[in-house]
Amino acid sequence: MRTHPRWAVQAVAAALLFAVAACGQQEPPPSTSSAAQPATTSCASKGGLTMWERSGGNKEMVDMLVAAWNAKNPDCKVNLTYIPHTEMVGKIAQGVASGDVPDLMGMDLIYAPQFEKAQQLVDITAATKDWAELKTASKGHMTVATYQDHLFGVPLYADVSALFYNKDLFAKAGLDPEKPPTTLAELRADADKITALGGGIKGYYLPGNCAGCNIFTVGPLMWASGATIEAKGPGDEPLVGDGVKQVLQFTRDMVKSGNVPEGARTENGETFHLQFGSGKVGMMGTGNFNITLAREQNPGMKFGITLLPGMAPNSSASFIGGDLVVIPKGSKRVNDAVNFMKFLLSDQTQVEVYAKALNLTTRSDMADNKYFKAEPLVGDVAKALTVGRTPYSTTFFEQINSPQGPWLKMLQRAYYSDDDLDTVIADAKKEMKAIAGRS
Amino acid sequence: MRHGSRGRLVGFAYLAPALLFVLAFTAYPLVQMAWMSLHDWSLITPPTFVGLANYERAFADSQFWVSVRFTLLYTVLITPCLIIGGYLLALLTARNTVLRRVTRTVVFVPVVIGLGVSSLLWYWLFSADFGLVNRALLDLGVIDKPVLWLGVDAGVSSVAISASVIWKVIGFGMILFVAAIQAVPSEVIEAALVDGVSHRQRITRVILPLTMRTVLLVTLLSVIGSLLAFDQFYIMTAGQPGNETATSVFYIYLNSFPYLKLGYGAALSMILAVTILVFTVIQLFLTRRSHQ
Repeated sequence: MRTHPRWAVQAVAAALLFAVAACGQQEPPPSTSSAAQPATTSCASKGGLTMWERSGGNKEMVDMLVAAWNAKNPDCKVNLTYIPHTEMVGKIAQGVASGDVPDLMGMDLIYAPQFEKAQQLVDITAATKDWAELKTASKGHMTVATYQDHLFGVPLYADVSALFYNKDLFAKAGLDPEKPPTTLAELRADADKITALGGGIKGYYLPGNCAGCNIFTVGPLMWASGATIEAKGPGDEPLVGDGVKQVLQFTRDMVKSGNVPEGARTENGETFHLQFGSGKVGMMGTGNFNITLAREQNPGMKFGITLLPGMAPNSSASFIGGDLVVIPKGSKRVNDAVNFMKFLLSDQTQVEVYAKALNLTTRSDMADNKYFKAEPLVGDVAKALTVGRTPYSTTFFEQINSPQGPWLKMLQRAYYSDDDLDTVIADAKKEMKAIAGRS
Repeated sequence: MRHGSRGRLVGFAYLAPALLFVLAFTAYPLVQMAWMSLHDWSLITPPTFVGLANYERAFADSQFWVSVRFTLLYTVLITPCLIIGGYLLALLTARNTVLRRVTRTVVFVPVVIGLGVSSLLWYWLFSADFGLVNRALLDLGVIDKPVLWLGVDAGVSSVAISASVIWKVIGFGMILFVAAIQAVPSEVIEAALVDGVSHRQRITRVILPLTMRTVLLVTLLSVIGSLLAFDQFYIMTAGQPGNETATSVFYIYLNSFPYLKLGYGAALSMILAVTILVFTVIQLFLTRRSHQ
């Protein structure tokens, strides 16, 4: 007995073949560049601009920036859409593949090299060549916004890492609250004294299960000690310099001496921002976002901020994270998107929007302003902009940020095992090189 | 003859909506996935045909097979808990009294919560520093220092995650079992009672055989759900410690989206799809046998 009409089967087969054929018709992306037209901080044409940004802790600030632009340019307001943080890269990639892209967008800066290499962003080199603001724009942002000497974006906001220390615990431990550590040896000595207070108080915090938190806070310890971390591309050597082993030894000693809470081993980033404000940690590498949070969480706690140190005296570094504003290929409003970038970098926006709301300015020369002077902690953390850097790699996520990547594996072996550190580093190096080699 | 053709046409017209749905949402994505698995494609660059290279890499990728093994172990661990636990709950609550109805509702409520939300909730409950589970155990004197539930020991992590998933989904199986038990004809039960069967014999010799199809259905759903486990591991352990709790779907997600290796992710998905298909066929075969 025939149960399926032949023509129906043929129709299904034809549909499937059509689907296969349609899948194969992907065209390579053409390279694009913006018109070299003088930029202003106002819009060049009427009509709303569409913008995507990832959701997260900086939403309030991005809202303020967009509101400031919209107030100044009521004829071409930016219509902002937030994409869940974890879906952002996939969403942009899908948008690029389907041609459904916004006029401009915020992009986690570590992903920028990947999109620049794939020629999916508009080259703004010509449009921005005379901008004096770019000379003092966050170095980390500018590094990853540049590909083969061409510029593809400007900073939207900056998150920098620094060493937060609890002045109350310093005083209780007999340490000078105005003298934070300036080397890793001092940091260890101070942590020992704070841990000795007992009662669940610990001198230091290391997030044991969070790759991103560690590149943000442990990576700078290595940079400050003269090391490099990621492989930038095929053939590049990762984890170079004595600082890598020295810092791994430092962290291992910190964990084994009991200076780090046991629970830190399970920290996957979900409660990282709450640790310093708990008042039970003497010192901790964290970000500028923690100033407000710690105050809300523990209003009575006195704390200070200094730069993350290295092995040698007066060596310091910071991880500059945050977002870039970029223009995706296919944007219909390139000139206005460039004008929005100019607006973000203007003195007025830097001081009256970023600084007024106590957010970091994205230009280092704008950190000297009346608002930061009234709030020294923000001024202290802003110093990180001058010593900070951002890793540059088209495989950053796979090498560094992934929970399955070699960076976290290396750190966990250093923190919680007795494996020989040279072997630990060699294994991570091999894996990082292999990942970079496949890019 | 003409009548036969017209009949077939009418029949096909009735089928058309469902057929279109299947074509659009099952056949097309499946074909596209197969096509993608033969390409090197990052989504942001044009795809390049690589033949079976992604499959060759997958078969040599030890981390993928570690994740497959862990997924199977997790499935073996959680499925009996869901089936036996759900069935026992159903036996306890099958009769329609007020207390039993309330109990069924309480057990079923977590089913309507999203798995992501539930996982986040349990992540906080199991938190070493802020979690209520450790706080309660410490206050009761069961433990003298906080237990590191998640991401430190693969066994402890699996138990903690399984507990959260059991809380979340056991009510689903229970409801299906309750419906099946209530559908057992009362004459059969009465006849068994007249024959003098004990309570235990009534369950094992009468009720269980008559509800076996539902047991197999719930087993099938549980096995498929466990093989596709993602949210709970992504949120609660992120595959730690040492990637020992990374499930197959978690590994596929990492490759497909954060790493932007869509072609490789598709090849891994095809392998996982075939694995699930094998399990499904075996279980459908068993279902058919039990029916016969």
